[in-house]
Amino acid sequence: MPDVTLVIDGQTVTVPAGTNIVDAARIAGVAIPVFCYHPKLKPVGMCRMCLVEVWTPKIDPATRQTVTGEDGRPVMTLMMGKLQPGCVTPVSEGMEVRTTTDRVRFAQKGQLEFLLTSHPLDCPVCDKGGECPLQNLTMQFGPSTSRFDYADKIHFEKPIPLGDLIYLDRERCILCSRCVRFQDDIAGDPVLGFDNRGRAWEIISKSDPPFDSKFSGNTTDICPVGALTTADFRFKARVWELRPTPSICPHCPVGCNISLDMRYDRLMRVMPRENDYVNEIWICDKGRFGMRFIESPERLRQPLIRKGDALTPATWDEAITLIAEKLIAIRTHAGAAAIGGLASPDLPNEDLYLFQKLFRQVLKSPNLDFQTGAPGEPEIVDLGATLGVGKGTNLSGLGAGTAVLVVGADPEEEAPLYVLRLRGIAARGGDLTVINPYPTKLDRTPARVIRPRAGAEAFVALALLKTLIEEELIAADFVTRRVQGFDELKARLRDHSVTSLCDAAGVAEDAVRAAARAFAKADNGIVIYGRVALASGADLIDALADLTLLTGHVGRPNNGVIPLIPGANARGALDMGVHPGAGKKRGLKTREMWAAAREGRLRGMIIAGMDPARDNPAAAEALDALEFLVVQDIFLTETAQRADVVLPTASIAGREGTLTNAERRVQRFRQARIPEFNTPAGWDVAQRIARALIAFGVEPAAPDGQGDGRSASRTSTKTGSATVLPDPWDYVVAGDVADEIAATVRGYADTTYESLGLTRKPQWGRQPNEAIFYDGTSYENTEGVGVQIAAEADNPKATFTLRARVPSSAAADDAHPFVLLAAPRAYDGRAWSRDSKLLPRMVAPHLVLNAEDAAALEIAPGSLVRIVSEAGSAVLPAQIDRNVPRGLALAPDVNGAPLSAVQTGPLTRVAIMAHIDETVGTR
Amino acid sequence: MIGAIFKGLGTTLRYLFRKPVTVEYPEVKRPVRERFRGRHQLKRFANGMERCIGCSLCAAACPADAILVVPAENDPAAPHSPGERYAARYEINMLRCIFCGYCEDACPTNAIVLEHQYELSFYDRRSSILTKEDLLVPPDKGHGEIPPILQQLNRRPSPPAQIDL
Repeated sequence: MPDVTLVIDGQTVTVPAGTNIVDAARIAGVAIPVFCYHPKLKPVGMCRMCLVEVWTPKIDPATRQTVTGEDGRPVMTLMMGKLQPGCVTPVSEGMEVRTTTDRVRFAQKGQLEFLLTSHPLDCPVCDKGGECPLQNLTMQFGPSTSRFDYADKIHFEKPIPLGDLIYLDRERCILCSRCVRFQDDIAGDPVLGFDNRGRAWEIISKSDPPFDSKFSGNTTDICPVGALTTADFRFKARVWELRPTPSICPHCPVGCNISLDMRYDRLMRVMPRENDYVNEIWICDKGRFGMRFIESPERLRQPLIRKGDALTPATWDEAITLIAEKLIAIRTHAGAAAIGGLASPDLPNEDLYLFQKLFRQVLKSPNLDFQTGAPGEPEIVDLGATLGVGKGTNLSGLGAGTAVLVVGADPEEEAPLYVLRLRGIAARGGDLTVINPYPTKLDRTPARVIRPRAGAEAFVALALLKTLIEEELIAADFVTRRVQGFDELKARLRDHSVTSLCDAAGVAEDAVRAAARAFAKADNGIVIYGRVALASGADLIDALADLTLLTGHVGRPNNGVIPLIPGANARGALDMGVHPGAGKKRGLKTREMWAAAREGRLRGMIIAGMDPARDNPAAAEALDALEFLVVQDIFLTETAQRADVVLPTASIAGREGTLTNAERRVQRFRQARIPEFNTPAGWDVAQRIARALIAFGVEPAAPDGQGDGRSASRTSTKTGSATVLPDPWDYVVAGDVADEIAATVRGYADTTYESLGLTRKPQWGRQPNEAIFYDGTSYENTEGVGVQIAAEADNPKATFTLRARVPSSAAADDAHPFVLLAAPRAYDGRAWSRDSKLLPRMVAPHLVLNAEDAAALEIAPGSLVRIVSEAGSAVLPAQIDRNVPRGLALAPDVNGAPLSAVQTGPLTRVAIMAHIDETVGTR
Repeated sequence: MIGAIFKGLGTTLRYLFRKPVTVEYPEVKRPVRERFRGRHQLKRFANGMERCIGCSLCAAACPADAILVVPAENDPAAPHSPGERYAARYEINMLRCIFCGYCEDACPTNAIVLEHQYELSFYDRRSSILTKEDLLVPPDKGHGEIPPILQQLNRRPSPPAQIDL
């Protein structure tokens, strides 16, 4: 767009055409006060706080030329003859804006006086006090007195709950509609609205349950007054008493930047930290309200050792010595392969790295995994390290010219912030295609919705590929340079037409062809796949990989594949090598470990931060069969109750570390408080075990093929000779581990704490006049935006082989007509939800059925249904949803769901019937 | 020279019969000036409610960082103070306090007042921290009515505005 030059308070600035006056003034360093305007929201001009004098050159109507005065300068006229709201007035050439004239000052004073006529002025008890734009602007621009008597003020009942998380104080509300617009435009949950008129105008919630949105907490951040406050932070502390600590949300693969606002080592609230690459300025409610677990009284405080049937408190020395003795005993009589290790994909990189180092180099066992081994758990097919998303990707800037395919994912439940990011891309003109077997919230955005049968998603991806080949939408140049096996792929697809593939998936051909065209023609193409895609299997993932390769959407910024693998740091677990295929010798997968444990081949295990025994009796049985089990966790989980030694660790607030998000951005979180109950970080636990083992005479091995073959920086290797000194295991702080990760793990070379701390521009951060825009709630990011790691595809010489093949259609099974699919849920009621205000929103286990299916089976909403598969059966209450496709039984994957009794794999064929309670004999 | 000695003794003799300016301190206490700044008190309203609303402005104003306020939400059925908020904990470290009176100035409800008590000595540092129980005046020693701005919790909401259609 052409640039426009204008004068603001005597300063000449050049800004892009279409910029509004408030933004232009901000660029010029002039502060225009605003309430309703927010740079992330569309301007509406509701609060009239930004009134300014706008002078434009006078145009002669006859000649359409600028009228020039006697002094040779253009004659200026006041636009419309009165003050103009700056946020909705676009700049124009030659404009002159005056923001400090008497007329403007008078208007600002009057406006604030009006706003304060209905304001209770209870700043001393208001939670916004201290970061309140109304307070600050009143001090700066407002009248010092009011002509209104206090008794004349409008009074409402003090706060009313606007849902169970957010309270509304209607007296304080200035009706700027920021919250309503956020919910409508950004979150896509239009649950707020206005009610009444005039002085009785108020915000109401239109949904049932009230304020039903996963992003409701953000409204309290953008509220320019104290009208919206969170139930979590009501009257907890004054904002100036808080000590914000940069942290990363540990709940999902997005890796939102948050700050833990602490007061005297107590967590007061969680706030978003600005990072345009990750979460802009938003966080979801799970991150905001789901951090109370760190202060739960149920936290483990000291090591526990099993004596008889009971776990009894012990000292660290006793516990570590016992672990070392037992592990050495198992190694001696059953071999190193009889020891297995599981580490949670929520743990930071430092913990995962030392955990695998303990196994690979000290215990010399390759049996490592980060999955729980539940029967319904999908295999992880990872494209993040090979194709990945190009280095420098920033979804917040994408719009027209971008096509996004969301395949088999429910971002709202798996990685909530992606909903906002994808909605933003769609709103800016991007093309969004959602391919999922059941409806998700993304369907409500302007998106092309393709609904294949569950398990048949691969056929949609193949139909997309076939369309590309048929319509010659291939990026030929890219394919010749970097892709192999194109002819073979064409041969494999020769016998199939787009129509037959679409029929196999049960989808409309038009939509698939349109999606393929949009994706191929877009400048930027991104594929996001999630849990349902993983459940669908490797055929789908291979086809998706080929889709990005054939269209050339690989190896460039804003192009590629984003896998949403369950766990906050599953990406890190894969990169650090906490999976059986990472080392030279292949180890056992979790599911194989359970089998081995039952058969007595696996004798000892260390499980870090994971609870595989939860909702999975088979795993519990396998754990009981073990000779020796060590569990390190922050709670006494079901797995920990079966352990021989339980080691407490610090939560994310009590230590520092790094997490790698779905886009392979490594981000650092800081220690927010002294470790709770003096518990060590997970990496330190691994180090203590390793040191004890070495002290008892275990010879550590040299680093094996982990990483790119460079020797570890801390292991001194004499060049030319094979003399390797034993690894000292003398890490003092997490940064020592991070340095070793940077030195040894492929791609992590740039992830030292120094480089992670850099705040890269453009960032909003603290800018000269930020106080006007982001006054109040500070999103300041002092800890940097992290470092994105390059995938293999970012190397311009890397080539890839096309691997898509047409799977055989699954044979119909008349005895089991339904497909049972575990649907991920953000509010799953697991360990993180302890003491959280979100507890009432946790879903109880249930089964969602199509309305017609339910009618045919005579199942009423809420009644119990029996699910029978080849593996077993389970009973769940039914919910009826007419939007769920026929033949699909959706079971939310939440705490207590008895799915492992039924599932034979991620997709299970089941029969469903109304449950008859035999004990009572009635239905 | 002799004369000078008698002159001096005469002065001594004269003062011997005057009322002494010293007071016998622990038994006799001198009254302090009205604006003397001594040990703090947390005041109450006449109806016995605490004046302190837990706003922490005293703590913010305190140059010696001597005050700790931990606020909490009032139970509407049994409120500690008028309005929504009260101080669940209120502590002043008298070893840190410099008796500047800024807390008094900052207080929006005149809850914290530096009173005339000046005998502040402790056997250990811990007892130098005065808690809310130490600082609060007895319930029957309140004064003043609750100002309208603080009565909002019990106030009848305004009727909806009349709309002329």
